[in-house]
Amino acid sequence: MEYPRVTPTNAAYAIGGAYPKMSQAEPDEPLPVGEDEFRMIADSAPVVVWVTRLDRTRSFVNRAYVEFLGVPYDEALTFDWRRIIHPDDAPDILAKSIAGEASMATFDLEGRYRNFQGQWRWLHSTSSPRRDAQGRHIGFIGVAHDVTEAKTAELALRDSEAQLSAFIAQSTAGFAQVDLEGRFTLVNDRFCQIAGWSHDELMGMRMLDITHPDDRTRNRPLFDRAVAEGTPYTHEKRYIRKDGSVVWVNNSVSVIRRPDGEPFGVLSVTLDVTRRREAEAQMRKSEESLRLATESAGMASWEFDLETMEGEWSPNRFDLLGMPRRPDSRGSFDDWIDRVHPEDREMVRAAAQRCFATGESYTIEYRVCRADNREERWLQSHGSRIDYADNRPNRFVGVSFDITTRKRGEDELRESEARFRTIFEQANDFLITTTLDQIVTSVNPAVLTALGYAEEEILGAKIGAFMDPDQLALSMHAFDKKMREGGTTRLTVTVRARDGRPLIWEINSRLTTDAEGTPTGLHAIGRDMTEAKRAEAHLRLLVDELNHRVKNTLAIVQGIAQQSFKDATDPAIARSAFEGRLAALSEAHNLLTRQHWGSVSMAQIIGDAIAPHGDAGRFELDGPDLSILPKTAISLALAIHELATNAVKHGALSQPEGGVVIRWAQIDRDGRARLSLVWEERDGPEVVTPTRRGFGTRMIERGLAAEFGGTVKIDFRPRGLTCTVDAPLPEGAA
Amino acid sequence: MNYDGLRVLVVEDEPVVAMCLEDILETLGCETVGPAGRLAEGLALAEQESLGAAILDINLAGERSIPIAEALRRRGVPFAFASGYGATPEGFETLPLIEKPYRAADIETALRAILG
Repeated sequence: MEYPRVTPTNAAYAIGGAYPKMSQAEPDEPLPVGEDEFRMIADSAPVVVWVTRLDRTRSFVNRAYVEFLGVPYDEALTFDWRRIIHPDDAPDILAKSIAGEASMATFDLEGRYRNFQGQWRWLHSTSSPRRDAQGRHIGFIGVAHDVTEAKTAELALRDSEAQLSAFIAQSTAGFAQVDLEGRFTLVNDRFCQIAGWSHDELMGMRMLDITHPDDRTRNRPLFDRAVAEGTPYTHEKRYIRKDGSVVWVNNSVSVIRRPDGEPFGVLSVTLDVTRRREAEAQMRKSEESLRLATESAGMASWEFDLETMEGEWSPNRFDLLGMPRRPDSRGSFDDWIDRVHPEDREMVRAAAQRCFATGESYTIEYRVCRADNREERWLQSHGSRIDYADNRPNRFVGVSFDITTRKRGEDELRESEARFRTIFEQANDFLITTTLDQIVTSVNPAVLTALGYAEEEILGAKIGAFMDPDQLALSMHAFDKKMREGGTTRLTVTVRARDGRPLIWEINSRLTTDAEGTPTGLHAIGRDMTEAKRAEAHLRLLVDELNHRVKNTLAIVQGIAQQSFKDATDPAIARSAFEGRLAALSEAHNLLTRQHWGSVSMAQIIGDAIAPHGDAGRFELDGPDLSILPKTAISLALAIHELATNAVKHGALSQPEGGVVIRWAQIDRDGRARLSLVWEERDGPEVVTPTRRGFGTRMIERGLAAEFGGTVKIDFRPRGLTCTVDAPLPEGAA
Repeated sequence: MNYDGLRVLVVEDEPVVAMCLEDILETLGCETVGPAGRLAEGLALAEQESLGAAILDINLAGERSIPIAEALRRRGVPFAFASGYGATPEGFETLPLIEKPYRAADIETALRAILG
């Protein structure tokens, strides 16, 4: 390549800002070396070189200069460098260039220039003043290095440093570096902030100086081991700040080594965990409160790891199972299952394992046998599986509490219910409940039996369906009274059985109320008084009847007395007669009483009446077993007594060989049944018709006739007395 | 007081008591009609006999003597009831009731009351 001679054509800014003016400087501006030699050196240099004159025109540029611009040599001499300066760098370069030239001293410039290929290149130029032999300033000589690579690297480094320092400065983490003796050698702002000491203060201190005294013992061996063995560690400890406050930090500590592996310091990345610790303490406190609360509520909690099947139990869980508390508070699934009552064990195990497998929570009630005293207790337990979103193993948590009291209460309630149910079912009394609208809600079987209805016919019906309107009115009156005054009412009402039979029920009833005392319904206990009322009426009748009979009997006694004594000449005989008659009356009464005042046997009446008057062998009784009414029986007995008394005194029985035949028969006359009765005395003394008819005769002929409603005739035949009764067969006789 | 010739119907189903009543009435000078121990018998006498007064047992072997009382009232025959218990039958409350057992004086008082 042939270089044109340097000819100043125009002034141009060049690197260094000098104007090459070589041609004009030639005679009086000798080059350091010969010109050719200089050109050769300059052209072979890998740097851009140029020479300017005082007037700033370039007198020389080297090959690198030409190549950078990519123009011919002459053009390069006059090229205006300002055109290719990067706009960002131009103001700075131009200003420094002018100032540098004015200073007449060496000056440096640095900036980006565009080469002929259009690439921006960082050039660093140094312009040095040129002087002639006399020391006069004659221009500048400039050299420019392409520093693009270095510049790029530097910029990259500066970026990275800036990022790092920004990161460190802005980091929530503090960074502290200490030497092997623990003296601070480097701390970032955040560390100062956390530790509560200034950078300068820290630089004169050791790590342990600001560590809480209680944490030093724990801290020192960790640090020593890290230094000695290179073992990194993470721990939490407290720093005492300058103001005396305490800060909890989490330090991740590692050893820093030189390239040869020799440790020269220890770096700690420090996080302020005070708030987390406080939160944890708070949580522990909450947990403690919760635990206290659950424990005081009798609830025991436990949890375990589903991989190891063991975990932490609350202290009272041990108590609940009668097990001694363990220092580590840990227990296993099997510890629990072992305590479960054998009969419940399978159920419990199945529920728990289903929970473990499927995550289905359970609530179960089961028995345990306490470990200490074998006492059986009822527990209720609730268990849930806790699944974590990450890969932590699932856990199981449960709470248990003792429900023995409730359970026993339930048992008692159940028994009591069963008892009441039995009473309800089996009571002879009627048990009925109704709504406040008188709709029957329940009845016991006794009601169904008594009324003859099926249960479904009664339930849902109104009580008015089972009683007449007047009786319902009585019930409603009682109901209104209860609504007004509360309490129990006792009421006797007549209800109607399904077949219309009236039943007299005595009903006690009261209102049922809710917890607030508001009436909710009515329950009633009734008793069938029908029979009792009937018996009562019967009894009243009996008493009346008895009174009547007593009065009647007294009247009869009075009559007998009057008749016995009215004509008596011999009081002793009269009294004897009276007593005999009373005895006969009494005997008749005895018989009637034995027969409950029902019909009595004629043979019996006659037999009893004659018994006091001689051996049975002297009487011959012959007749069917007719029965007669009580009243007739008394008259008959008295009549037989009179006849027998007369026979003993005056008739057949007054002689040893004498006897009496008593015959009676039921005969038909004109299609009607009649009684024929004959008293016939035999083998007695000759009978004399009495001059005067006494009580006996009168009693027999008139009284008995009237009693039988027929005729009674006494014949005083000489061979023996006969008495003939002819009467309709008395009613009630059979 | 003398009730000579007064015909008094005796209705009494108990023979001994009837005899007793007859004796009392006879003592008082009365002439007795009956005694009737049954309703039908008593009713026949009450309707057919000439009577000055009557003493009726209320209970006659299970029947009540009310029809006899009605017949007597129709005929204007004064009468009194005799009974071991209870009260005069309904409709005859103003009539005397002689309670058994009775004495002669009771019968006399009753006769006086009904005869004025």
